[in-house]
Amino acid sequence: MKMRVASIFALAGYSLLIVAPLYLALDRLVWVAGFDPYAWINSLNENYITQGVIGFTFLQAALSTLFTLIIGIPIAWQLGRHKWPLQSFVKSILTMPFVMPSIVAAMGFLHIIGPAGLNIRVDESTWFTTLIIAHAWFNMALVIRFCEPVLSTLDPNLEQQMRLLPAGRTKFGRFRNLWAPLLMPSVAAAACMTFIFSFTSFALVKWITLGDNTLESVMASVGSSAGIKDYMISRNEIILGASLIQFTILLAALWIMSWLQQRRQSLLPQASEAIVKSANRKGWLIIGPGLLFALSPLIAVLWASFRVRHTDSTGTTYTWETSGWEFAFAGTNSLPSGWDALANSLGYAGLTLIIALPLGWVLAQTILDVEKQRPRLARLLDILTMLPFAASSVMIGLGVMLGMIRIDAEFFYSFWPTPVFAHIMITTPFVVRIMLPALRSISPEYDECARTLGIVAWRRFFFIKLPLLWGSILIAGIFTLAMSLGEFGASWVVTRNSDWTTLPIMIDSLRSIPYNTTYTAPAACAISSVLMIITLFLFTWAEKFRPARDGGMF
Amino acid sequence: MKKTALFLGIIILNLSISGCLSEEIDGDTVETPEQYEWVDDGELVIVTYDVYGLTDEMISQFENESGYEVSMLKLDDAGSVLDHLLQHKGLQIADLAIGLDNTYLQTAIDNNVFWEHTAVLNNISESALLPYNGPFAAPFDQGYMCLNYDTSIVDGENYTVPESLWDLTNEEWKGKVAIPSPETSSPGRAFMTATTDYFSHDDDNQTEWTDWWSAMSENEVIITTGWSEAYETHYTGGYGEWTDGYVGDAHIVVSYCHSPGVESWYNENWTKSAALDLPRSAFHQVEYASAIEGGNLGAASAFIEYLLSHEVNSKMPIENSMYSVLEGVDLPEENGYRYHSIIPQQTAMVNSTTIANSMETWLEQWNTAMVDA
Amino acid sequence: MLECKELSKSFEKELFTGFNLELKPGEIIAITGPSGCGKTTLLRAICGLETLDSGTINLDHVDITNVPAEERGIGLIFQSPVLFPHLSVQGNLLLGDENGDISTALEEVGLSGFEKRRVESLSGGEGQRVSLARALLAKPKVLLLDEPFSSLDEDLSEKLVQDVRSILKKSDCPAILVTHNKKIAGDFADSVISLSN
Repeated sequence: MKMRVASIFALAGYSLLIVAPLYLALDRLVWVAGFDPYAWINSLNENYITQGVIGFTFLQAALSTLFTLIIGIPIAWQLGRHKWPLQSFVKSILTMPFVMPSIVAAMGFLHIIGPAGLNIRVDESTWFTTLIIAHAWFNMALVIRFCEPVLSTLDPNLEQQMRLLPAGRTKFGRFRNLWAPLLMPSVAAAACMTFIFSFTSFALVKWITLGDNTLESVMASVGSSAGIKDYMISRNEIILGASLIQFTILLAALWIMSWLQQRRQSLLPQASEAIVKSANRKGWLIIGPGLLFALSPLIAVLWASFRVRHTDSTGTTYTWETSGWEFAFAGTNSLPSGWDALANSLGYAGLTLIIALPLGWVLAQTILDVEKQRPRLARLLDILTMLPFAASSVMIGLGVMLGMIRIDAEFFYSFWPTPVFAHIMITTPFVVRIMLPALRSISPEYDECARTLGIVAWRRFFFIKLPLLWGSILIAGIFTLAMSLGEFGASWVVTRNSDWTTLPIMIDSLRSIPYNTTYTAPAACAISSVLMIITLFLFTWAEKFRPARDGGMF
Repeated sequence: MKKTALFLGIIILNLSISGCLSEEIDGDTVETPEQYEWVDDGELVIVTYDVYGLTDEMISQFENESGYEVSMLKLDDAGSVLDHLLQHKGLQIADLAIGLDNTYLQTAIDNNVFWEHTAVLNNISESALLPYNGPFAAPFDQGYMCLNYDTSIVDGENYTVPESLWDLTNEEWKGKVAIPSPETSSPGRAFMTATTDYFSHDDDNQTEWTDWWSAMSENEVIITTGWSEAYETHYTGGYGEWTDGYVGDAHIVVSYCHSPGVESWYNENWTKSAALDLPRSAFHQVEYASAIEGGNLGAASAFIEYLLSHEVNSKMPIENSMYSVLEGVDLPEENGYRYHSIIPQQTAMVNSTTIANSMETWLEQWNTAMVDA
Repeated sequence: MLECKELSKSFEKELFTGFNLELKPGEIIAITGPSGCGKTTLLRAICGLETLDSGTINLDHVDITNVPAEERGIGLIFQSPVLFPHLSVQGNLLLGDENGDISTALEEVGLSGFEKRRVESLSGGEGQRVSLARALLAKPKVLLLDEPFSSLDEDLSEKLVQDVRSILKKSDCPAILVTHNKKIAGDFADSVISLSN
């Protein structure tokens, strides 16, 4: 009974939180641009700044997905089928890029290809390739997380049986008749997720490919003039057109995703403790470069934060200095200090955690509760909780910004926690994704058994349910913190009209300092390093609590 | 499946309905701007973009002298400042806007986002008051936008120095010219505005300014979001080659006529960049400070007075790489600053009202010209 | 002391109708029947984990039909032992009675010295013994057993059947066992009820 009240509250709160800002934003944009979806989409082709954006967005997302699979599947295979020294540590490093803030990745790749690195950035044709590689770096964790459990827990009897059947005598036969059908849902699900994340890429596109835009980055760049009556109407049309396309594509992807996820659950083979994995020397040819790939942007960021450029008549030299760090943390009238940004970021992340974690938990419990009796409603709720993925963070940012202007701008602009609204919208879906399989994995017998022992509800919650879920709660919590700390798109839209600078926004502003300062790069990298180290710390901490075999997505 | 369709249908239906509804509701509230009495809260919030002249020392000196507490809201560019003012009209977020130039100012004034400031100003040069001379904005710096070229490459041998804008549509300049977009940057707007004047005064009656832009678009002109991307990332003649992210594929760029002077000032009297003095291709740009409606008028006016004091404004060439607006203050001679800077013989003549009235049309025409090419 | 009157329940098909039973203090009854005949559902209904379509349950002359499971004072041993993996054997037993005498309880089920063991390290039989000890620590007025011996091999289950019976008799705890195995039913209970379709 109480659970039902909590469910209704959570659902109502969530809907209000997610739907209200998006509704207010769209409403405002439609008010300016008029209701004409055809004109919205057409405006993308009619405007010089958005010409070719649709094509570019699809192309880069498709290629990124393909490339992610190409490098992700061999790594997942090696991890799943063979034995590695420090297995879980190796896996942690290979999956860590996924939690890294995209702006940190952007800084890392900029420095790898920049003048102090490979020095190939001067050739514009390398930008696109760099973007694809950066997306693959970011998303290969998804392929590993989705495919590795299938590979590592498959009952060896299945493979042995297959060897004895005519269809499985050859390697190709086993691949076609055993591995491919088993892995397909997982690979497809990972591809779906990668496509979604690449499709809505913002920070990487903003910094790596200067001339080209995704729908997401276009929305961000024209967003500042949105929602003003009789002013720059085409900009409003662009935003509406871009979000309409994004929403449709992403919703379709999420629908497929949700369907694949169910197939994946049913295909996930039983865990078998009998598996004896062999070592594989040749596999180092895959795992070794994989580890290097995963780590290099991070090393580049840390390295570049201490390298300060000096230019004089004799040419350019780089020296080891800490002055970039000093510059980043000094603060000026026009630029907050690194400390302020750190305090804001930590504050927002903490607040987001306090709200998003219980909210996501209750939502996950609600989905689970209605799943048995009303599977269709459960599916609908499932999609609803993934809606923010489809809306994309820039759209969420615009929603919060236009929403607060509509409701009470004076209040919200003086209300420090305002950006938290956007962070909650972005992190709650992740909490639901993590908590749902965790809740599902708890057998109802535990609760029933406790009841027959005469244990009352609150004690059952604190002494049985909470400890059983503890690992997943910590992962969800840490993930929420990491996501909030690294959030870029929405914060970029919301906080640029305020002085609530967060770490990712500060990296962006530092790197945007034009003019002849030598600190632009090292200072941006110094703040990136801070963000990276916090994220790494959170990630390694979370890995300790990860259940051995979670069916979860992240 | 059906439920989702229904769900989506409801969302879309809602949008269409609310689109009509809110038009009525909002229509009323937006049309009648509320009036505020200004209150001195002891604070001054400045909304601006990267205006280098607003240094820390300068701000702290103002704080010490006036007792106001200053905070700054930094946006990407002048366009974002205007967007901010329009979007947050009457919301009393900021008190003073710094950095709108004469291509943006009139639009802001027409939208009633400013109050008349009460600063007492002396010794402002006539030229600075030429584009706008009224109570809603005070000029604080100025300069001339024009094409800059890399003399080490555009030396008459490898590349010929252009003698008209049409020369830039020749094959040899394919993909070698960088211009900031008029949609997103004020130097871009300024240069586009100049082209409207340039091509209405050329000998050719057959072609319009938009034809030139179409030809440029076909000639693969590099259009960038802002000035710094054009100058630092693409231009070979400036300091960009020493910065990270340098690409260096353009030998001609839209910048200031005194940019070579700034290069020289920072490089001990050496530069390979030069300004191209084509009649009517240069635009006289003036940047303004304005008191925002509903803000702290006293503090805003005090800051404007401070910004235009001889002590602060005469430092504009050094602190802000722009000309001062004061009578008798020129660029310094040291390091060839003044020597390498030019004052164009004949700038484009377009008055502020024309700019304000035509800008949206021009941008649409520009857009069409670029897209249809 | 436990009185079931006209209990009926159907879910997709009719599981049981008009079921009556009277359990006297200290008595052990076994209910047998083929699998899928609703034995488990019947037990779960008696301890309050399932709702009934109709009928009343009285315990010590008090109507407990609508009392929640945790307040009924009826214990249940599940088919396979339900032990909380985040707690040690001792922690699991303390859930039965916070101030209970753990070592005596373990001694009674023949598992002396098992206090600190992790539950994953227990065999099936040991697990059921811990479940039993825990259920008895909660001092149930009636203990219900849902095929607790079915997952064990024959020798072990025979031994456990005897042990559990004597423990129950010693603590004078009335019990109902459901099983599909007539031999176990006969060995364990004072009387056997056969539930047919």
